[in-house]
Amino acid sequence: MTCSPAIETAGLCKSYGSTRAVRDLNLTVQPNRITAFLGLNGAGKSTTIKMLLGMIKPTAGSGTVLGRRIDNPADSVAIRRAVAFVSEDKRLYSYMTVEQIVRFTSGFFPGWRSDLAAALMRKYELPPGRKVRHLSKGMRTKLDLLLAVSRHPALLILDEPSEGLDPLGIEQLLETLVTECADGTTVFFSSHQIAEVERISDQVCVIHKGGLVMDASLDALRQSWRQVDIVFASIPDQADFQMVGVERIRTRGRQMSIVASRNVEAIVERARDFQASTVDVTLVGLREIFLQTVEEN
Amino acid sequence: MLWYKAWLETRTRFLVAVAGITGLCSYVVYELGQDVTPRSTVDHYYSTLHSGHRLIAIMWLVAMSLLMMGGLVQEKAAGVSSFTLALPVSRARLMGVRIWAGLTQAAALAVLPWIVISAVFSVAGWPISLFQVRFYLLLLAGGGIVFAGVAVLISSLVDGQYTAPMLVLGVLLFCANAPRSLNSVNPLVFMSGRDYMARPDMLAGPIPWARLAANVGAAALFMFGSVKVVQNRDF
Repeated sequence: MTCSPAIETAGLCKSYGSTRAVRDLNLTVQPNRITAFLGLNGAGKSTTIKMLLGMIKPTAGSGTVLGRRIDNPADSVAIRRAVAFVSEDKRLYSYMTVEQIVRFTSGFFPGWRSDLAAALMRKYELPPGRKVRHLSKGMRTKLDLLLAVSRHPALLILDEPSEGLDPLGIEQLLETLVTECADGTTVFFSSHQIAEVERISDQVCVIHKGGLVMDASLDALRQSWRQVDIVFASIPDQADFQMVGVERIRTRGRQMSIVASRNVEAIVERARDFQASTVDVTLVGLREIFLQTVEEN
Repeated sequence: MLWYKAWLETRTRFLVAVAGITGLCSYVVYELGQDVTPRSTVDHYYSTLHSGHRLIAIMWLVAMSLLMMGGLVQEKAAGVSSFTLALPVSRARLMGVRIWAGLTQAAALAVLPWIVISAVFSVAGWPISLFQVRFYLLLLAGGGIVFAGVAVLISSLVDGQYTAPMLVLGVLLFCANAPRSLNSVNPLVFMSGRDYMARPDMLAGPIPWARLAANVGAAALFMFGSVKVVQNRDF
């Protein structure tokens, strides 16, 4: 198992005129893991991915993918030889049939797995003779996924892969990603579907307004983030609970709800100091953590 | 594989153009051949060849501007460029294959009608002047390559599937109506062959290699410029 990062950026920036789409992005994606890349619309996810693949030139900063520089044209070709990409659009050549686009793509990758391509074609029920323009968006997504994984990439990058898929398609997608990772492929994907991210990801990176605001393992997030619901006889001032690790405080009547990323024991102790009648500590879902992180930034 | 893609992308346009150009030109040349009077047979023979050349040139230019449609900029407008650019191929190679595929098809579109016209002449029992045919072919290729270069450059600059060919047709219209003072640099005038006619409709004299080379150079510049535009563009 290699230890050098699959993706590493340092101060990566992209500006369009006065708009800064990505600013000082320091991102590290470890190999052989599934890393989710979360962010609101326009946060800079697609721009970052396109910079990694050489489709967009960075305004400043640097980056490497599989140890090769993203701003070097020769390196960029080598990167794309080892990386598979499923784009947000899932648009493929409309004038080709499924069979033709599989043949076309296979020609660029010496390690192409014909057996896997054939198996996925059957599993996804893709009609070989049908023109791409006559496929539904879900089928196009599956075809794009087939073209990506059959090249046996070291790194698989997907931009909103589950968009347009039905529940069965989403299951097949997640299963494929987990299988690929188990086979040694690093998976880096952006998504708005937090439930899916929560099911398969090892690492979660959150980008907001072009900057990285969170980079943590899902296990660490699950272990550290808690919601503390406290009922008081007489509600104390919120300022009394502005402690290290407290991300958000809400009060309603005599009830106070605190979301904390750490230091939960101290919060519970403080609640007891203020004569809390009940204190409930519950797990916080990734959705809540994501929204909290984005709001905070 | 990029050639395979280029062929699949353009084959319908190409085959329609081949059928259209060869069919129409052969028919018109044959019809003209029936009308021998009132001019002498020799004059009429050259006139028929010249008419064939004009027809081929007009249709070739329209077909070429349609064949040069496509490329990364149009793929971006259609949302497909991400797939192409994720392939392990440099942008220069993508552009190179596209340009060579377009030029190969354009060359075929120039040569095929003359083969068919020669066959029509042969069937009708008329002799064919290889010198005239070769001269017309060089005029077509030498002038047409400038428009091919313009078409590639325009398609690297503007989005929209039909915007590029419409702009190329605009350039053609400009050249067709350009002032006489620009004749020496007007590729459409070069294609017409009017500067090389010894008498009406008959080409004579040495083949204008210098002008032909200048046109090829201009086209190469346009194509090089289009590669640079695509290399430096964000997709």
